[in-house]
Amino acid sequence: MSHSAVLSSRIRLARNYEDLPFDAGREGVAATCISRTANALALSGEDNGFRLLTMSAVGEEGRMLLVESHLISQDLTRFPDSAVLLRESDQVSVMMGEEDHLRIQAVSPGLCLSDTAARCFAIDDALSRHVRFAYDPQLGYLTAFPTDTGTGMRASLLMHLPMLAHHKQMGSVGQIAAKVGLTARGFYGEGSEALGDIYLISNQVTLGRTEDEIIATVTALGEQLSGMEGELRVHAMKERRLQTEDRIWRAWGLLQNARLLPLNEFYRLWSSLRLGAVLGQLDVDLDAIDTLPVEVQDAHLRAKSETGLTGEALDAARARRVRSLIRPARLT
Amino acid sequence: MICEECNLNEARFAVTMNINGETCVRHLCPSCMQAMNTSFRGGNVAGVLAAILSAITSGDRRSSDEEEREESVPDITCPRCGTAYAEFHRTGRLGCPGCYVAFREQLQPMLQQIHGRVQHAGRLPLENAEAQRSRTRQEELTRLMQQAVALEDFETAAQLRDQIHALAGEGGDRA
Repeated sequence: MSHSAVLSSRIRLARNYEDLPFDAGREGVAATCISRTANALALSGEDNGFRLLTMSAVGEEGRMLLVESHLISQDLTRFPDSAVLLRESDQVSVMMGEEDHLRIQAVSPGLCLSDTAARCFAIDDALSRHVRFAYDPQLGYLTAFPTDTGTGMRASLLMHLPMLAHHKQMGSVGQIAAKVGLTARGFYGEGSEALGDIYLISNQVTLGRTEDEIIATVTALGEQLSGMEGELRVHAMKERRLQTEDRIWRAWGLLQNARLLPLNEFYRLWSSLRLGAVLGQLDVDLDAIDTLPVEVQDAHLRAKSETGLTGEALDAARARRVRSLIRPARLT
Repeated sequence: MICEECNLNEARFAVTMNINGETCVRHLCPSCMQAMNTSFRGGNVAGVLAAILSAITSGDRRSSDEEEREESVPDITCPRCGTAYAEFHRTGRLGCPGCYVAFREQLQPMLQQIHGRVQHAGRLPLENAEAQRSRTRQEELTRLMQQAVALEDFETAAQLRDQIHALAGEGGDRA
Protein backbone atom coordinates (compact mmCIF):
# COMPACT_ATOMS: atom_id res chain seq x y z
CA MET A 1 0.00 0.00 0.00
CA SER A 2 1.37 3.38 -0.88
CA HIS A 3 1.27 6.06 1.77
CA SER A 4 0.99 9.11 -0.43
CA ALA A 5 -0.07 11.28 2.50
CA VAL A 6 3.46 11.06 4.00
CA LEU A 7 5.68 13.79 2.59
CA SER A 8 8.86 12.99 4.51
CA SER A 9 10.39 11.14 7.46
CA ARG A 10 12.77 12.74 9.93
CA ILE A 11 14.86 11.43 12.81
CA ARG A 12 16.66 13.65 15.30
CA LEU A 13 18.97 12.36 18.05
CA ALA A 14 20.03 14.60 20.95
CA ARG A 15 23.50 13.88 22.34
CA ASN A 16 25.62 15.76 24.89
CA TYR A 17 29.23 15.63 25.97
CA GLU A 18 29.62 14.31 29.48
CA ASP A 19 32.11 16.95 30.64
CA LEU A 20 30.51 20.13 29.26
CA PRO A 21 27.65 22.29 30.60
CA PHE A 22 24.52 22.19 28.38
CA ASP A 23 24.57 25.97 28.00
CA ALA A 24 25.90 26.42 24.46
CA GLY A 25 25.79 30.18 24.96
CA ARG A 26 28.56 29.90 27.57
CA GLU A 27 31.95 30.89 26.27
CA GLY A 28 33.87 28.11 24.59
CA VAL A 29 31.16 25.43 24.87
CA ALA A 30 29.97 25.64 21.27
CA ALA A 31 33.55 25.86 19.96
CA THR A 32 34.56 22.74 21.93
CA CYS A 33 31.48 20.87 20.62
CA ILE A 34 32.36 21.78 17.06
CA SER A 35 36.06 20.89 17.14
CA ARG A 36 35.49 17.70 19.13
CA THR A 37 32.69 16.47 16.86
CA ALA A 38 34.51 17.31 13.63
CA ASN A 39 37.65 15.55 14.89
CA ALA A 40 35.76 12.46 16.03
CA LEU A 41 33.95 12.22 12.71
CA ALA A 42 37.24 12.55 10.82
CA LEU A 43 38.95 9.94 13.03
CA SER A 44 36.10 7.50 12.44
CA GLY A 45 36.44 7.90 8.68
CA GLU A 46 32.73 8.75 8.42
CA ASP A 47 33.35 12.36 7.41
CA ASN A 48 33.14 11.74 3.66
CA GLY A 49 30.76 14.16 1.99
CA PHE A 50 30.32 16.35 5.07
CA ARG A 51 31.03 20.06 5.00
CA LEU A 52 31.24 22.30 8.03
CA LEU A 53 29.14 25.47 8.04
CA THR A 54 29.34 27.90 10.95
CA MET A 55 26.20 29.95 11.52
CA SER A 56 28.19 33.18 11.68
CA ALA A 57 29.87 32.52 8.31
CA VAL A 58 26.75 31.56 6.33
CA GLY A 59 25.00 34.86 7.15
CA GLU A 60 21.32 35.51 7.73
CA GLU A 61 20.11 34.56 4.23
CA GLY A 62 22.20 31.39 4.29
CA ARG A 63 20.75 30.42 7.65
CA MET A 64 17.20 31.01 6.38
CA LEU A 65 17.88 28.84 3.31
CA LEU A 66 19.06 25.98 5.54
CA VAL A 67 16.03 26.32 7.83
CA GLU A 68 13.59 26.45 4.89
CA SER A 69 15.26 23.33 3.42
CA HIS A 70 14.77 21.57 6.80
CA LEU A 71 18.55 20.95 6.99
CA ILE A 72 18.88 22.79 10.30
CA SER A 73 16.43 23.69 13.05
CA GLN A 74 15.17 27.22 13.60
CA ASP A 75 16.63 26.90 17.11
CA LEU A 76 20.16 26.51 15.77
CA THR A 77 20.01 30.02 14.28
CA ARG A 78 19.44 31.46 17.78
CA PHE A 79 22.95 30.38 18.79
CA PRO A 80 25.49 32.60 17.03
CA ASP A 81 28.46 30.31 17.78
CA SER A 82 26.74 27.16 16.51
CA ALA A 83 27.59 25.19 13.39
CA VAL A 84 26.40 22.26 11.31
CA LEU A 85 28.17 19.37 9.63
CA LEU A 86 26.11 18.79 6.53
CA ARG A 87 25.95 15.90 4.08
CA GLU A 88 23.44 17.06 1.52
CA SER A 89 23.52 13.89 -0.63
CA ASP A 90 21.36 12.03 1.89
CA GLN A 91 20.22 14.97 4.03
CA VAL A 92 22.22 14.22 7.16
CA SER A 93 23.02 17.13 9.50
CA VAL A 94 24.95 17.18 12.73
CA MET A 95 23.92 20.40 14.46
CA MET A 96 26.41 21.53 17.07
CA GLY A 97 25.95 24.04 19.89
CA GLU A 98 22.14 24.14 19.98
CA GLU A 99 20.02 23.48 23.11
CA ASP A 100 21.82 20.13 23.18
CA HIS A 101 25.48 19.84 22.22
CA LEU A 102 24.60 17.69 19.23
CA ARG A 103 21.46 17.06 17.27
CA ILE A 104 22.06 14.38 14.67
CA GLN A 105 19.36 14.60 12.03
CA ALA A 106 18.43 12.74 8.85
CA VAL A 107 15.50 13.38 6.51
CA SER A 108 14.10 11.16 3.73
CA PRO A 109 11.20 11.59 1.36
CA GLY A 110 8.15 9.38 1.99
CA LEU A 111 7.57 6.94 4.82
CA CYS A 112 10.86 5.32 5.86
CA LEU A 113 11.74 6.11 9.47
CA SER A 114 13.88 2.98 10.00
CA ASP A 115 16.25 3.68 7.10
CA THR A 116 16.42 7.33 8.13
CA ALA A 117 17.24 6.35 11.71
CA ALA A 118 19.98 3.98 10.48
CA ARG A 119 21.82 6.96 8.97
CA CYS A 120 21.67 8.79 12.33
CA PHE A 121 22.77 5.69 14.26
CA ALA A 122 25.79 5.25 11.97
CA ILE A 123 26.94 8.78 12.87
CA ASP A 124 26.11 8.22 16.55
CA ASP A 125 28.20 5.01 16.65
CA ALA A 126 31.06 6.57 14.68
CA LEU A 127 31.24 9.48 17.14
CA SER A 128 30.84 7.37 20.27
CA ARG A 129 33.99 5.42 19.37
CA HIS A 130 36.00 8.59 20.01
CA VAL A 131 33.99 10.71 22.45
CA ARG A 132 32.07 10.15 25.67
CA PHE A 133 28.38 11.09 25.62
CA ALA A 134 26.44 11.92 28.79
CA TYR A 135 24.67 8.66 29.60
CA ASP A 136 23.11 7.10 32.67
CA PRO A 137 22.24 3.38 32.82
CA GLN A 138 18.83 4.16 34.30
CA LEU A 139 17.91 7.35 32.45
CA GLY A 140 19.68 6.77 29.14
CA TYR A 141 21.11 9.71 27.21
CA LEU A 142 21.08 12.87 29.33
CA THR A 143 19.75 15.97 27.60
CA ALA A 144 19.29 19.66 28.37
CA PHE A 145 15.51 19.14 28.70
CA PRO A 146 13.97 16.20 30.59
CA THR A 147 11.48 15.95 27.71
CA ASP A 148 14.23 14.39 25.55
CA THR A 149 15.92 12.19 28.16
CA GLY A 150 16.32 8.48 27.37
CA THR A 151 16.71 7.76 23.68
CA GLY A 152 17.02 11.48 22.94
CA MET A 153 15.18 10.61 19.74
CA ARG A 154 12.39 12.39 17.89
CA ALA A 155 10.89 10.46 15.01
CA SER A 156 8.60 12.61 12.86
CA LEU A 157 6.46 12.28 9.78
CA LEU A 158 5.43 15.29 7.72
CA MET A 159 1.94 14.51 6.41
CA HIS A 160 -0.49 16.10 3.98
CA LEU A 161 -3.99 15.48 5.35
CA PRO A 162 -6.43 17.73 3.45
CA MET A 163 -9.49 15.50 3.86
CA LEU A 164 -9.01 14.81 7.58
CA ALA A 165 -8.60 18.58 8.00
CA HIS A 166 -11.66 19.28 5.80
CA HIS A 167 -13.76 17.01 8.01
CA LYS A 168 -12.32 18.74 11.10
CA GLN A 169 -10.87 15.48 12.42
CA MET A 170 -7.42 16.75 13.36
CA GLY A 171 -8.53 17.56 16.93
CA SER A 172 -9.45 13.93 17.54
CA VAL A 173 -6.29 12.81 15.73
CA GLY A 174 -4.32 14.85 18.26
CA GLN A 175 -6.17 13.20 21.15
CA ILE A 176 -5.53 9.72 19.75
CA ALA A 177 -1.87 10.58 19.21
CA ALA A 178 -1.52 11.82 22.81
CA LYS A 179 -2.82 8.49 24.11
CA VAL A 180 0.14 6.65 22.56
CA GLY A 181 2.76 9.24 23.51
CA LEU A 182 2.72 11.09 20.17
CA THR A 183 1.75 14.59 19.05
CA ALA A 184 0.17 15.91 15.86
CA ARG A 185 0.47 19.61 15.05
CA GLY A 186 0.40 22.01 12.13
CA PHE A 187 3.82 22.43 10.56
CA TYR A 188 3.48 25.81 8.85
CA GLY A 189 1.65 28.81 10.30
CA GLU A 190 1.08 30.45 13.64
CA GLY A 191 -0.62 28.96 16.70
CA SER A 192 -3.01 26.15 15.85
CA GLU A 193 -2.91 26.86 12.09
CA ALA A 194 -1.87 24.10 9.71
CA LEU A 195 -1.22 25.87 6.42
CA GLY A 196 -1.40 23.58 3.41
CA ASP A 197 -3.02 20.93 5.66
CA ILE A 198 0.55 19.86 6.48
CA TYR A 199 0.97 18.19 9.87
CA LEU A 200 3.94 16.92 11.82
CA ILE A 201 3.40 13.65 13.67
CA SER A 202 6.11 12.86 16.21
CA ASN A 203 6.84 11.07 19.46
CA GLN A 204 6.64 12.99 22.70
CA VAL A 205 7.82 10.14 24.92
CA THR A 206 11.55 9.42 24.70
CA LEU A 207 12.24 7.44 27.88
CA GLY A 208 11.42 3.78 28.50
CA ARG A 209 10.76 2.83 24.87
CA THR A 210 13.42 1.58 22.49
CA GLU A 211 14.11 3.47 19.27
CA ASP A 212 12.47 0.61 17.34
CA GLU A 213 9.34 0.81 19.48
CA ILE A 214 9.11 4.58 18.99
CA ILE A 215 9.62 4.24 15.24
CA ALA A 216 7.00 1.48 15.06
CA THR A 217 4.46 3.62 16.95
CA VAL A 218 5.00 6.71 14.80
CA THR A 219 4.95 4.59 11.61
CA ALA A 220 1.74 2.88 12.72
CA LEU A 221 -0.01 6.21 13.30
CA GLY A 222 1.33 7.49 9.96
CA GLU A 223 -0.05 4.45 8.15
CA GLN A 224 -3.37 4.72 9.95
CA LEU A 225 -3.77 8.40 9.10
CA SER A 226 -2.70 7.70 5.53
CA GLY A 227 -5.38 5.01 5.31
CA MET A 228 -8.07 7.24 6.81
CA GLU A 229 -7.11 10.10 4.51
CA GLY A 230 -7.24 7.71 1.53
CA GLU A 231 -10.73 6.49 2.46
CA LEU A 232 -11.99 10.06 2.86
CA ARG A 233 -10.54 10.92 -0.57
CA VAL A 234 -12.37 8.00 -2.16
CA HIS A 235 -15.51 9.05 -0.32
CA ALA A 236 -15.13 12.64 -1.56
CA MET A 237 -14.82 11.47 -5.17
CA LYS A 238 -17.89 9.26 -4.78
CA GLU A 239 -20.21 11.50 -2.80
CA ARG A 240 -18.97 15.01 -3.57
CA ARG A 241 -17.23 14.53 -6.88
CA LEU A 242 -18.25 17.83 -8.43
CA GLN A 243 -17.31 19.89 -5.38
CA THR A 244 -13.99 18.08 -5.03
CA GLU A 245 -13.14 18.52 -8.72
CA ASP A 246 -14.15 22.15 -8.52
CA ARG A 247 -11.80 22.71 -5.57
CA ILE A 248 -8.91 21.05 -7.43
CA TRP A 249 -9.40 22.78 -10.77
CA ARG A 250 -9.98 26.18 -9.21
CA ALA A 251 -6.67 25.82 -7.38
CA TRP A 252 -5.02 24.77 -10.62
CA GLY A 253 -6.45 27.79 -12.44
CA LEU A 254 -5.25 30.21 -9.79
CA LEU A 255 -1.79 28.70 -9.49
CA GLN A 256 -1.39 28.79 -13.29
CA ASN A 257 -2.59 32.35 -13.65
CA ALA A 258 -1.95 34.31 -10.46
CA ARG A 259 0.60 37.09 -10.83
CA LEU A 260 0.84 37.81 -7.10
CA LEU A 261 0.86 34.84 -4.74
CA PRO A 262 1.11 35.49 -0.99
CA LEU A 263 2.47 32.54 0.99
CA ASN A 264 -0.77 31.85 2.90
CA GLU A 265 -2.80 31.69 -0.33
CA PHE A 266 -0.14 29.49 -1.90
CA TYR A 267 -0.44 26.92 0.92
CA ARG A 268 -4.23 26.75 0.55
CA LEU A 269 -4.02 26.24 -3.23
CA TRP A 270 -1.07 23.86 -2.97
CA SER A 271 -3.11 21.56 -0.72
CA SER A 272 -5.84 21.28 -3.39
CA LEU A 273 -3.24 20.88 -6.14
CA ARG A 274 -1.60 17.96 -4.35
CA LEU A 275 -4.99 16.43 -3.60
CA GLY A 276 -5.77 16.62 -7.33
CA ALA A 277 -2.50 14.93 -8.28
CA VAL A 278 -2.95 12.12 -5.72
CA LEU A 279 -6.54 11.56 -6.93
CA GLY A 280 -5.30 11.36 -10.52
CA GLN A 281 -7.32 14.44 -11.49
CA LEU A 282 -4.26 16.43 -12.43
CA ASP A 283 -1.42 14.99 -14.43
CA VAL A 284 1.31 16.77 -12.50
CA ASP A 285 4.45 15.14 -11.13
CA LEU A 286 3.95 14.56 -7.38
CA ASP A 287 7.66 15.03 -6.66
CA ALA A 288 7.55 18.48 -8.26
CA ILE A 289 4.50 19.36 -6.17
CA ASP A 290 6.22 18.16 -3.00
CA THR A 291 9.25 20.39 -3.57
CA LEU A 292 7.05 23.49 -3.94
CA PRO A 293 6.49 24.37 -0.25
CA VAL A 294 10.26 24.68 0.18
CA GLU A 295 11.02 26.27 -3.21
CA VAL A 296 8.59 29.17 -2.76
CA GLN A 297 9.80 30.23 0.70
CA ASP A 298 11.23 33.76 0.91
CA ALA A 299 14.94 32.94 1.16
CA HIS A 300 14.69 30.40 -1.68
CA LEU A 301 13.03 33.01 -3.91
CA ARG A 302 15.61 35.63 -2.96
CA ALA A 303 18.45 33.18 -3.68
CA LYS A 304 17.11 32.82 -7.25
CA SER A 305 16.82 36.55 -7.78
CA GLU A 306 19.56 39.09 -8.35
CA THR A 307 17.96 41.82 -6.31
CA GLY A 308 16.82 41.53 -2.70
CA LEU A 309 13.08 40.83 -2.92
CA THR A 310 10.56 42.13 -0.38
CA GLY A 311 6.78 42.45 -0.06
CA GLU A 312 4.88 42.30 -3.37
CA ALA A 313 8.01 41.51 -5.35
CA LEU A 314 8.26 38.29 -3.32
CA ASP A 315 4.62 37.43 -4.08
CA ALA A 316 5.29 38.04 -7.78
CA ALA A 317 8.43 35.88 -7.73
CA ARG A 318 6.46 33.14 -5.93
CA ALA A 319 3.76 33.18 -8.63
CA ARG A 320 6.44 32.90 -11.36
CA ARG A 321 8.27 30.13 -9.55
CA VAL A 322 5.09 28.07 -9.14
CA ARG A 323 4.29 28.42 -12.87
CA SER A 324 7.79 27.34 -13.84
CA LEU A 325 7.85 24.31 -11.52
CA ILE A 326 4.52 22.68 -12.31
CA ARG A 327 3.94 21.32 -15.81
CA PRO A 328 0.65 22.09 -17.56
CA ALA A 329 -1.93 19.43 -16.84
CA ARG A 330 -4.42 17.68 -19.04
CA LEU A 331 -7.89 16.48 -18.09
CA THR A 332 -8.02 12.82 -17.14
CA MET B 1 -10.30 34.47 37.62
CA ILE B 2 -6.58 35.27 37.55
CA CYS B 3 -4.28 33.57 34.99
CA GLU B 4 -2.67 30.50 36.54
CA GLU B 5 0.48 31.04 34.52
CA CYS B 6 1.49 34.65 35.29
CA ASN B 7 -0.85 35.25 38.25
CA LEU B 8 -1.27 38.80 36.96
CA ASN B 9 -3.88 39.12 34.21
CA GLU B 10 -7.48 38.08 33.95
CA ALA B 11 -7.77 34.49 32.64
CA ARG B 12 -9.85 34.37 29.44
CA PHE B 13 -9.05 30.86 28.19
CA ALA B 14 -9.63 27.47 29.70
CA VAL B 15 -7.13 25.01 28.21
CA THR B 16 -7.68 21.31 28.64
CA MET B 17 -4.39 19.45 28.88
CA ASN B 18 -3.79 15.75 28.91
CA ILE B 19 -0.82 14.99 31.10
CA ASN B 20 0.02 11.34 31.34
CA GLY B 21 -3.58 10.27 30.90
CA GLU B 22 -4.89 12.79 33.45
CA THR B 23 -6.99 15.61 32.13
CA CYS B 24 -6.64 18.96 33.83
CA VAL B 25 -7.92 22.43 32.98
CA ARG B 26 -5.66 25.48 33.07
CA HIS B 27 -6.99 29.03 33.07
CA LEU B 28 -4.78 31.37 31.07
CA CYS B 29 -4.70 35.02 30.04
CA PRO B 30 -4.41 35.91 26.32
CA SER B 31 -0.66 36.58 26.45
CA CYS B 32 0.19 33.34 28.27
CA MET B 33 -2.13 31.47 25.89
CA GLN B 34 -0.28 33.02 22.96
CA ALA B 35 3.08 32.15 24.52
CA MET B 36 2.01 28.56 25.01
CA ASN B 37 0.70 28.24 21.44
CA THR B 38 3.90 29.69 20.04
CA SER B 39 6.06 27.40 22.11
CA PHE B 40 4.08 24.32 21.05
CA ARG B 41 4.18 25.30 17.39
CA GLY B 42 7.86 26.04 17.26
CA GLY B 43 8.57 22.72 18.93
CA ASN B 44 10.00 24.79 21.77
CA VAL B 45 10.33 22.10 24.40
CA ALA B 46 11.23 24.64 27.06
CA GLY B 47 7.82 26.25 26.76
CA VAL B 48 6.04 22.93 26.62
CA LEU B 49 7.92 21.69 29.65
CA ALA B 50 7.31 24.90 31.60
CA ALA B 51 3.59 24.47 30.81
CA ILE B 52 3.68 20.86 32.00
CA LEU B 53 5.67 21.79 35.07
CA SER B 54 3.34 24.53 36.11
CA ALA B 55 0.36 22.31 35.34
CA ILE B 56 1.80 19.70 37.68
CA THR B 57 2.64 22.19 40.38
CA SER B 58 -0.68 24.01 39.99
CA GLY B 59 -2.25 20.83 41.35
CA ASP B 60 -0.03 21.28 44.40
CA ARG B 61 -0.93 24.94 44.54
CA ARG B 62 -4.62 24.25 44.69
CA SER B 63 -4.23 21.94 47.65
CA SER B 64 -1.70 24.23 49.29
CA ASP B 65 -4.08 27.15 48.84
CA GLU B 66 -6.57 25.29 50.96
CA GLU B 67 -3.98 24.72 53.61
CA GLU B 68 -2.64 28.25 53.08
CA ARG B 69 0.87 27.01 52.50
CA GLU B 70 3.42 28.49 50.13
CA GLU B 71 4.55 26.23 47.31
CA SER B 72 8.12 25.29 48.12
CA VAL B 73 10.89 24.79 45.59
CA PRO B 74 13.75 22.78 47.09
CA ASP B 75 16.87 24.82 47.74
CA ILE B 76 19.39 22.63 45.90
CA THR B 77 22.25 23.65 43.62
CA CYS B 78 24.13 21.39 41.22
CA PRO B 79 27.70 21.20 42.58
CA ARG B 80 29.11 20.76 39.08
CA CYS B 81 27.63 23.71 37.17
CA GLY B 82 26.04 25.83 39.91
CA THR B 83 22.51 25.66 38.45
CA ALA B 84 19.92 26.14 41.20
CA TYR B 85 16.89 23.85 41.20
CA ALA B 86 14.70 26.97 41.25
CA GLU B 87 16.24 28.03 37.94
CA PHE B 88 15.47 24.67 36.37
CA HIS B 89 11.96 24.86 37.81
CA ARG B 90 11.49 28.21 36.04
CA THR B 91 13.07 27.41 32.65
CA GLY B 92 12.67 23.64 32.35
CA ARG B 93 16.30 23.48 31.29
CA LEU B 94 19.07 21.63 33.14
CA GLY B 95 22.58 23.05 33.47
CA CYS B 96 24.80 20.02 32.87
CA PRO B 97 24.73 16.20 32.99
CA GLY B 98 25.57 16.52 36.72
CA CYS B 99 22.16 18.14 37.36
CA TYR B 100 20.61 14.71 36.76
CA VAL B 101 22.52 13.49 39.83
CA ALA B 102 21.97 16.60 41.97
CA PHE B 103 18.21 16.82 41.23
CA ARG B 104 17.61 13.07 40.91
CA GLU B 105 14.97 12.94 43.63
CA GLN B 106 12.94 15.75 42.02
CA LEU B 107 13.53 14.57 38.45
CA GLN B 108 12.30 11.01 38.94
CA PRO B 109 8.59 11.89 39.49
CA MET B 110 8.83 14.53 36.75
CA LEU B 111 10.25 12.06 34.22
CA GLN B 112 7.55 9.61 35.28
CA GLN B 113 4.93 12.28 34.55
CA ILE B 114 6.40 13.17 31.16
CA HIS B 115 7.30 9.72 29.84
CA GLY B 116 5.28 7.32 31.98
CA ARG B 117 8.44 5.28 32.64
CA VAL B 118 11.81 5.95 34.26
CA GLN B 119 13.95 3.08 33.01
CA HIS B 120 15.80 3.65 29.76
CA ALA B 121 15.35 1.11 27.00
CA GLY B 122 17.19 1.31 23.73
CA ARG B 123 20.56 2.26 22.37
CA LEU B 124 23.59 2.89 24.55
CA PRO B 125 27.07 4.27 23.89
CA LEU B 126 29.38 1.61 22.41
CA GLU B 127 31.49 1.15 25.54
CA ASN B 128 28.39 0.72 27.72
CA ALA B 129 27.05 -1.74 25.16
CA GLU B 130 30.27 -3.79 25.42
CA ALA B 131 30.20 -3.67 29.22
CA GLN B 132 26.56 -4.80 29.17
CA ARG B 133 27.34 -7.69 26.80
CA SER B 134 30.16 -8.77 29.10
CA ARG B 135 27.85 -8.61 32.16
CA THR B 136 25.16 -10.65 30.40
CA ARG B 137 27.79 -13.25 29.39
CA GLN B 138 29.09 -13.42 32.97
CA GLU B 139 25.56 -13.94 34.29
CA GLU B 140 24.99 -16.70 31.75
CA LEU B 141 28.28 -18.42 32.68
CA THR B 142 27.48 -18.13 36.40
CA ARG B 143 24.12 -19.79 35.80
CA LEU B 144 25.81 -22.63 33.88
CA MET B 145 28.43 -23.01 36.62
CA GLN B 146 25.73 -23.33 39.29
CA GLN B 147 24.02 -25.97 37.15
CA ALA B 148 27.30 -27.89 36.79
CA VAL B 149 27.87 -27.76 40.57
CA ALA B 150 24.35 -29.03 41.17
CA LEU B 151 25.07 -31.92 38.79
CA GLU B 152 28.42 -32.49 40.60
CA ASP B 153 30.27 -31.92 37.30
CA PHE B 154 33.12 -30.11 39.05
CA GLU B 155 35.48 -30.17 36.06
CA THR B 156 33.05 -28.13 33.91
CA ALA B 157 32.29 -25.89 36.89
CA ALA B 158 36.00 -25.12 37.32
CA GLN B 159 36.38 -24.29 33.61
CA LEU B 160 33.36 -21.97 33.78
CA ARG B 161 34.73 -20.29 36.91
CA ASP B 162 37.99 -19.56 35.07
CA GLN B 163 36.07 -18.07 32.14
CA ILE B 164 34.07 -15.85 34.51
CA HIS B 165 37.26 -14.64 36.20
CA ALA B 166 38.82 -13.91 32.82
CA LEU B 167 35.79 -11.84 31.75
CA ALA B 168 35.71 -9.97 35.06
CA GLY B 169 39.43 -9.26 34.64
CA GLU B 170 38.88 -7.74 31.19
CA GLY B 171 36.14 -5.50 32.61
CA GLY B 172 38.50 -4.38 35.37
CA ASP B 173 41.23 -3.48 32.85
CA ARG B 174 38.85 -1.27 30.84
CA ALA B 175 37.60 0.61 33.87
